[in-house]
Amino acid sequence: MRFSEAKNHRVMSVNDAATVGKVQRIAVDPTTSTIAGLKLRKTPGEGDSLAWSELSAFGRDAVTIDSADRIVRATGDLQRLLGKDHAVLGKRVLSVGGVDLGTVTDVDFDMGSGAVISVITERHEIPGSGIVGLGSYALVVDTARP
Amino acid sequence: MSVLMRATEVIKRPVVTLAGEAVAQVKDIVYEGDGGHVGGFTLAGRGLFAGPLKVALGWESVSALGNDALMIRDEGVFEAPEQVVSRSTARRGDVLGSRVMTDDGTELGTITDVILGVTDVADVIGYEIDSSPALGKDGRRVLIPLPDTLSISGEALMLPSAAKEFVSDDLAGFGAAVQEFRTRLAGGGAT
Repeated sequence: MRFSEAKNHRVMSVNDAATVGKVQRIAVDPTTSTIAGLKLRKTPGEGDSLAWSELSAFGRDAVTIDSADRIVRATGDLQRLLGKDHAVLGKRVLSVGGVDLGTVTDVDFDMGSGAVISVITERHEIPGSGIVGLGSYALVVDTARP
Repeated sequence: MSVLMRATEVIKRPVVTLAGEAVAQVKDIVYEGDGGHVGGFTLAGRGLFAGPLKVALGWESVSALGNDALMIRDEGVFEAPEQVVSRSTARRGDVLGSRVMTDDGTELGTITDVILGVTDVADVIGYEIDSSPALGKDGRRVLIPLPDTLSISGEALMLPSAAKEFVSDDLAGFGAAVQEFRTRLAGGGAT
């Protein structure tokens, strides 16, 4: 699934069949090239963050969790990666050789594992395994990595 | 394959870690080996009013110098500015405005930029000059190749006269011109 499709995805808790939020932003962990978690809006409580490991499923039409208690205030790495300055969409992409490859227009990911399949810019499609780093300035990629 | 770039375009280029953070920008290039190649960089902070930083970068710590960014592993590779600047054997990278002469006594023009050929090293392979009438280029800016070694003083730079035949109008094709020029010189062919 693409980030562009996943945005505004409904988040539902299984125990009471209620909508407990909508996906606002998706965070990528550059060290594992996987989804780290989701930032939500319209949540019932103070929390607005969901770690990927807390999901029951990322489905075609909704994200499910067993209960709204899974939604927390992010701390540590998840907080950093969910921050606006680490948002992947719109981020400048630089090769390890120092060449600008455009800005991220979309990300394709595996709904089952959370693995990033590819990062898409205006001109390039880079395999998720090529992600080297993600900072406030750029997403750094190695296009030669298999 | 070397990537060609103008030295003035390297100035202000962002210095970016592999973790994707822009931690500095290039303030100036430090040349070493009699100005023949890049030894490192002095750095400035990012942003309009940021001043010089108290750190510098040796060439061996550069992961890559690309057309859009200078990549480093992390901020741990920074050195004290004295360490990098002290490598500069002479201020010979500072050639802007110098006159370029040939060994047959023709003035080719004045230097407006340094052309770098970047691979694992960043070699000074040519200069951009405001051409003199002798080149018949209507005073346009052109690129001239450099031999491996050259004579240079604060006053002028002396080139073999054959350099005239390998002048390029832009960076495309200039790499080949430099190669041919150097091959000609090495072959000791008649000029």
